Amino acid sequence: MYGFEAMTFNIHGGYLEAIVRGYRAGLLTAADYNNLCQCETLDDIKMHLSATEYGPYLQNEPSPLHTTTIVEKCTLKLVDEYKHMLCQATEPLSTFLEYITYGHMIDNVVLIVTGTLHERDVQELLEKCHPLGMFDSIATLAVAQNMRELYRLVLVDTPLAPYFSECITSEDLDDMNIEIMRNTLYKAYLEDFYKFCQKLGGATAEIMSDLLAFEADRRAVNITINSIGTELTRDDRRKLYSNFGLLYPYGHEELAVCEDIDQVRGVMEKYPPYQSIFSKLSYGESQMLDKAFYEEEVKRLCLAFEQQFHYGVFFAYMRLREQEIRNLMWISECVAQNQKSRVHDSVVFIF
Amino acid sequence: MMEDQEEKGNAENGIGRQKQVKDEYLLQFLDSLDGYLTLLDSLSSTLSQGWLELASARHAMGASRINGALLDLKVHAAATSLKVSEQDVDSMESQPCFTLCKWASSDNGERSSGEEKSLSPQLRHRNNSQLSGIISSPVSFSHFFNFFLSCEEEKVSTRTGTPLILVDQQRQKSLSVFGVLVSPKLRSAQLSFERALETLVEIANLHTTMLSMFEQVHKELENTNG
Repeated sequence: MYGFEAMTFNIHGGYLEAIVRGYRAGLLTAADYNNLCQCETLDDIKMHLSATEYGPYLQNEPSPLHTTTIVEKCTLKLVDEYKHMLCQATEPLSTFLEYITYGHMIDNVVLIVTGTLHERDVQELLEKCHPLGMFDSIATLAVAQNMRELYRLVLVDTPLAPYFSECITSEDLDDMNIEIMRNTLYKAYLEDFYKFCQKLGGATAEIMSDLLAFEADRRAVNITINSIGTELTRDDRRKLYSNFGLLYPYGHEELAVCEDIDQVRGVMEKYPPYQSIFSKLSYGESQMLDKAFYEEEVKRLCLAFEQQFHYGVFFAYMRLREQEIRNLMWISECVAQNQKSRVHDSVVFIF
Repeated sequence: MMEDQEEKGNAENGIGRQKQVKDEYLLQFLDSLDGYLTLLDSLSSTLSQGWLELASARHAMGASRINGALLDLKVHAAATSLKVSEQDVDSMESQPCFTLCKWASSDNGERSSGEEKSLSPQLRHRNNSQLSGIISSPVSFSHFFNFFLSCEEEKVSTRTGTPLILVDQQRQKSLSVFGVLVSPKLRSAQLSFERALETLVEIANLHTTMLSMFEQVHKELENTNG
């Protein structure tokens, strides 16, 4: 019953909630970002990060550094923290933590399938996969010729199996089918995660519903904008939207017929939570939309820490770390390309 | 005496005309040099913009969606090709002229657009190491140039449709290695690199003009000194 988690949550979840709140305290501060934004070279960035929790992961990296190296090593830290939490978790927290990684699993599956279609070496593709989304038989994905084989040979034994029922066909894999597969899988995953959180009930259900609904709505907007001018039909576009969220169902009907960014703005401005996002953009502009959405997401994720005795803090921490890694990637790229004036275009400050 | 004066006048006129021709060649050389330097500057800023937009697209879509490991290694016609022809400057000499044929690829024997022309054989070869390094950092423009210009010797037939629609289709096809639903930032990056390619070809043409003018100026100087 909502409100009585305080009595029983700490029995199984108390230790890990304390751990994750400790991890949260290690997120980079405004002072760290100020220092990083003033770096002249990637070695300077490494030097500044050596004083943070990323230090041990970067200290042995030789010069010259590369932006992908910085991102990889920072991601390793996130993976280590996640694995520590997962091995200490009991049900249902362990299932909740596993749900957090299914998005990366879907990305890895699509990466392997797309790369194989382009005749790339499997080992090379495996090196590019996100470590949080790895599973045992991932390399076998390279042998599948269509989605039915993908499912039968590999994915039937993975957590993604239930999400495949909506996209199993015998059609050969091509760029369009792969894109539809990616988005259909992600849609099914989000809906399943949402239902799981609803079943958990209490503060977890309330907080995660808000976060996942925002994710579903943002996906709908991105799918709409990215599909403008492509061969994706309105019906196919509509089928990729999740069946929950603030925009479901009427917002989705309107988004499905949008042909440009201004029409998307017209739809979104009818919803008060998204009015503030689109008010930051000028007409016809979509470049800053990603940053605006990230800022809103970070605000909501930070609010999750204001309450105790729920699993939302774990989800929020993982997402905040991923945002921090995106920030580091952007700062590194700006420094490497000598474009420090553009560093604030995409950095989203946390706390 | 009158004849001497006339001869002297003719000689002075001849020298004056020679000086005028020399000045013209010098002005043309300086003009082409100025254009060359301006285009170099423009190329540098267009490339910087393109690389930043690519990083921005990677930031928005994620590193797993935009990386060198997704580039297509299957043999297929280049979407863009470069034609090198000889242009007669005067009756004595000719200079190479570069023409960019954009988005004139062929697929399964059907030709999408472009004039009938033959492409020069094997301008560049693609290989794994070049491609895997392309997206991860702005290492050198030649690597990205390879990606656009690797081609086989072939002929392109006459157009089959409206150019603008076909150009958009070819652009989308080129980007489809990263997926069908890509961020507008990636499309902007593509346009920037396209502009950079056009600038590069302009630079090559201007470079040959500049060298030709320089030779003319050099010849005139030698004639004067001789």
